[in-house]
Amino acid sequence: MEQNPRPRTVLETCGEEIIRIVTPVSICMLLVVILVSVLNRGSSLDDGLSFATMATMAYSESSSDSIWDKLKGALLNSLVFVAVVTVATFLMVLLFYFKCTKFLKYYMGFSSLLVLGFMGGEIAIFLIKASSFPVDCFTFAVALYNFTVVGVMAVFLSRMAIFVTQAYLVVIGVLVAYWFTLLPEWTTWGLLVAMSLYDLAAVLLPGGPLRLLVELAMDRDEDIPALVYEARPVISDAGLGDGVVRRRVWREGRGDFDEDQRLRSDLVPGSSLRTYIYGESESERNIVDAEDGRALGGDSELAAPLMQHINIRMNSLENAVSSENLALEGIGLGSSGAIKLGLGDFIFYSVLVGRAAMYDFMTVYACYLAVIAGLGITLLLLAFYRKALPALPFSVLLGVLFYLLTRLLLESFVVQCSINLLMF
Amino acid sequence: MTVAAGIGYTLLALGPSLSLFVAVISRKPFLTLTLLSSTLVWLMSLIALSAVWRAFLPFKTATWWPYSLLILTSVALQEALRLFLWRVNKRMEEMLDAYADRVSKPRLYITDKMQIALAGGMGHGVAHAVFFCISLLTPAFGPATYYVEKCSKIPFFLVSSIMALAFVTIHTFSMVIAFNGYSEGNKKDQYFAPVVHLAAGVFTLINLASGGCVVGIPLLYVMAIVTLVHCGNTVWRRLTDNRSMETNLQ
Repeated sequence: MEQNPRPRTVLETCGEEIIRIVTPVSICMLLVVILVSVLNRGSSLDDGLSFATMATMAYSESSSDSIWDKLKGALLNSLVFVAVVTVATFLMVLLFYFKCTKFLKYYMGFSSLLVLGFMGGEIAIFLIKASSFPVDCFTFAVALYNFTVVGVMAVFLSRMAIFVTQAYLVVIGVLVAYWFTLLPEWTTWGLLVAMSLYDLAAVLLPGGPLRLLVELAMDRDEDIPALVYEARPVISDAGLGDGVVRRRVWREGRGDFDEDQRLRSDLVPGSSLRTYIYGESESERNIVDAEDGRALGGDSELAAPLMQHINIRMNSLENAVSSENLALEGIGLGSSGAIKLGLGDFIFYSVLVGRAAMYDFMTVYACYLAVIAGLGITLLLLAFYRKALPALPFSVLLGVLFYLLTRLLLESFVVQCSINLLMF
Repeated sequence: MTVAAGIGYTLLALGPSLSLFVAVISRKPFLTLTLLSSTLVWLMSLIALSAVWRAFLPFKTATWWPYSLLILTSVALQEALRLFLWRVNKRMEEMLDAYADRVSKPRLYITDKMQIALAGGMGHGVAHAVFFCISLLTPAFGPATYYVEKCSKIPFFLVSSIMALAFVTIHTFSMVIAFNGYSEGNKKDQYFAPVVHLAAGVFTLINLASGGCVVGIPLLYVMAIVTLVHCGNTVWRRLTDNRSMETNLQ
């Protein structure tokens, strides 16, 4: 029995920031997989949606087409989708340039109302039908109304409890991702690859809309109004011996950074570097009318650029800082500030995993690991390059690669071994 | 065999890992990251193996030597991977120590290093259980069940869960032994992990014979218990040595 407890090591808190962002991503993916496996059991998987949506405007896939037709159709659909998203993002850049942030905020609130109210209601109805849950429509209407209103307030206002905001953002991500999984198969995969390539272009190319948005926001030192998920910031006092971790609710605006500066000035002297990773701008498809089952004529798009901030505090005395140490600085004890991940990243990761769930669970596990690995790589690269980086490409491309490898190679190998009760 | 049976099979294979995860690994986020990375690495090794062997499967012959070749190559690849993981682990420990020096916190204790090894081993074990057992459990959630002819007394899902549990134990704790052996330079510990892994793989070959699982699975559990006991001894010895060294220094 030890007389005095030993001081804590770096192992206690190193990597906590990453876990704080990996956990909600995993929860979102898990919920989408559960929804997909519960709701898509009976329906045929190839037909997808029977009504027109923005993502299938160019070509509606049917299971009787040849592979070459499906490929061409998927490509066409993806190109149309990416074009619409590009236009919407440029529109957003324009609005932000003309300082119409109020309009953007209201639009965000309105779109989350649509997602939570209509999409959430529709999925709730599917679930009720699937489980034969006895509930009358008045109770359902009241519950849905309350749920939606609280959700809109959580997204809209900044005074909400942080857990409620996080939960509602994850729910919005789940709902949108589930709707994306209803698209035909080839179109979904084409869309995923196209969006990750678009993300790469939009953030890294000099004329890319997201890069313009970032630079505008940096010049004005403002936050872009968008649907972003914020993890709780981790502050641990390096001066104290017991390593108590204090939590601080993220406050909007620049007052936050000033307070941060004052708090950190005596602990870690040095300059603060602000680094961004950006997701992509996302447009939603048309809203489906529940009664008719056909698309509304209106073109309600949600253009919400999605970004990820990481505040990395660097010790300016340390000149020869290796890349790995930067990563540790960013994610370890010395850093403060919240990690923000755009909701579009949540959505597309979950769409990938949900699509994998429609084939088999082995692909789900493989794709989950690939997506998390991609996220980790992106964070490491961010710490290394210290400039705006897209969050989609690595995860989605790794995910697609692992899906194909698992489906073509791994599955038969593992099944053959297991059937003969051979394991290693 | 209904959802309850499916959940039961899952818990049978992964129950101890789940409790270990909740009690030890989830408390330190770095260990969770280690677990995820080692799961990914094991998956990649499995994909590499399947890429090589895909062309030859399914085996047309009923003889055992193609299967033994498969087991041999798989175990060889994964043990080579363990060596590679040791190098990466050493580098990671150096980085963590350097970081600890910079923020004036104590360097990694020996228990910390062993916990990292435990997390790494558990990643391998969980990956094995997930890909060899859990991912095949989807039919088990339905109304029927499935029997294999070679082992027709108990359902296939139950057999694979039981085997997965043994392998999870072997993978988790042999990593601790192996890392201990590499850091101390102890040859016996260094060879322990590959030998046990190979023996476990070879014992599953016994399952190829009809009714062989009655012999093969208990032997597998013998290996698992041997691993557990040896790991306990090694860790105990290391900790008491360390403590006596600390008291000698004071």
